[in-house]
Amino acid sequence: MLRAIRSGEADALVVESDAGPQVYTLQGVDAETNRLRGEMLAQVSDAVIAFDSEDRVIYLNNAAERLYGIAASAALGRRRSKIYEARWLHPEDEAAKATALRDHGEWRGENVHVRRDGRALNVESGVTILREGAGQPAGMLAVIHDVTERKRHEDEVLVSEIRYRRLFETAHDGILILDPGTRKIIDANPFMTQMLGYSRNQLVGKELFEIGLFEDQAASQEMVQKLTRANQVRYENLPLESQGGRHQEVEVVANLYDENGCPVIQCNIRDITERKRSEEHVKLLMAEVNHRAKNLLAVVQAVAQATSKYGDPATFAARLSDRIDGLAAGQDLLVRNQWQGVEVSDLVEAQLAHFKDLIGTRVLIEGPRARLTTSAAQGIGMALHELATNAVKYGALSNVEGQVRIAWQITAAIKPAFLMSWLEDGGPKVAAPTRKGFGQIVIGRMVETAVEGIAEIIFRERGLSWNLSAPVENALA
Amino acid sequence: MEFERAGGECVSMNRVGNNDEPPLTAMFNNQHRRVLIVEDEPILAFALEELLIEAEFEIVGVATRLEKALAFIESGVCDAAILDANLAGVSAGPAALALAARGLPFLILSGYSPDQLSNAFAGAPCLQKPCKPERLVAALRAILPAQ
Repeated sequence: MLRAIRSGEADALVVESDAGPQVYTLQGVDAETNRLRGEMLAQVSDAVIAFDSEDRVIYLNNAAERLYGIAASAALGRRRSKIYEARWLHPEDEAAKATALRDHGEWRGENVHVRRDGRALNVESGVTILREGAGQPAGMLAVIHDVTERKRHEDEVLVSEIRYRRLFETAHDGILILDPGTRKIIDANPFMTQMLGYSRNQLVGKELFEIGLFEDQAASQEMVQKLTRANQVRYENLPLESQGGRHQEVEVVANLYDENGCPVIQCNIRDITERKRSEEHVKLLMAEVNHRAKNLLAVVQAVAQATSKYGDPATFAARLSDRIDGLAAGQDLLVRNQWQGVEVSDLVEAQLAHFKDLIGTRVLIEGPRARLTTSAAQGIGMALHELATNAVKYGALSNVEGQVRIAWQITAAIKPAFLMSWLEDGGPKVAAPTRKGFGQIVIGRMVETAVEGIAEIIFRERGLSWNLSAPVENALA
Repeated sequence: MEFERAGGECVSMNRVGNNDEPPLTAMFNNQHRRVLIVEDEPILAFALEELLIEAEFEIVGVATRLEKALAFIESGVCDAAILDANLAGVSAGPAALALAARGLPFLILSGYSPDQLSNAFAGAPCLQKPCKPERLVAALRAILPAQ
């Protein structure tokens, strides 16, 4: 039928309505005008629908057919509700439309049309009252523009704006937006104002050198020039003073972006004061570790030389590794105490770790709390190690019944002294050695140097006796 | 042991470095060469003492603490000193300054590399631990005025 109308085969169209049949002329001069109008409307990209006074469709163009997914043949003569349902964005809009139509004969606005298949369309409509020759309302003409896509895009932009604005607002880096032309700040995030102690208003309109980020205007200019060449510049280490005078080390990353045709510079400013401090600390620690390692190598070298010089070459490896064991035990203690001195009892236990089952029975340890200096701990530790080695090889721990008493005290004299003793009893009969071994040097001269004291070694027949005395200020931490 | 010479040696060794060092005791008159050893590690102090006595130096004292080192220097008994840069966490810098003030030569023996050392030690030859005994003896001879 529609094809017949469009191709001009029909002369008139009669539409049944509640008010009786309506006749639409399709031929003649009027018809020619109508046809021409129809042709024009068909070309319009907006949907055009005409309703009669009963709200029935009397015309719809191609765009309307496409928009509502309905053929003209199925729509003509049907009520509006068979094509779409209107929903309102704001409840008051519906009444506003009625008022506008009544008072002005037209309404423009935005609402939602829900198609028969349930698809919702965001539309902008212009609705005009159609009047007969006499001026009586004969219906309405609606021109409907589909803004669903645009609306969706706007919503996405809004979500994106909220999301990225939140990043800007809550970032724990300072962010500045600059105009590359004037090099002036056009925006600053809250963290930036916090870092500098300036308000946002104080920052906007300033150049970077004015907030202390660069030395002078030339440096600010240079950054912008670099940026135009490379799009990104990075400054690892810039000093920055806050308004309150607080010194910070900052890292600045500047990017040149295109913002919808307009170039902008974004500067991210990160406070790296803490990171710098911890890097410095790590560097210091590494140097310290290196120093200690080399020192320890020197100690091992000295022990190896002495071990080889004093003693039987056949047992060199065994004696050396035994002494390295002792050094390792001492090292553990020093590290555990952060090189701040060592408790005497800890030192004794560490050097006698091999005999811990005998402690309390054959090895008696007694003394008050006392903290040795690092040097004293190293010297006394080595001496204890040599004494223990000697005791288990030749002395009181070489049989099943001998005893060792290890005791220390601090004398309450005008010049207080630290006294320490190692007394052996019940071992094999002792004879003074004919030549001085390295062990004897360690428990004698070496420990004396370490504590600036005196070590007395007596080879009693019933067991070795070793007595060390030193001024408290030299031995104790 | 050529590879030991290649790395880790202190730059200042260049002026005393010499691959054909004389035997420790020969051809060198160490008489009245009184040396102070400042070293907090007892075993190292002992090893230095042994080494220098063997090389016919006279050891006037071993100090493991800065105060003791300063006392030795002030008493004027030494002609030269070997300084460990760090004495149980205390810098031996004041001892270096005291020696320099008296015009006494000294060398630094340290686990630290020269660039890590305080300015107080600037100008003094610096040997890194661990150091080969003959290098140490040669360096010590080099800083003492010829007799």
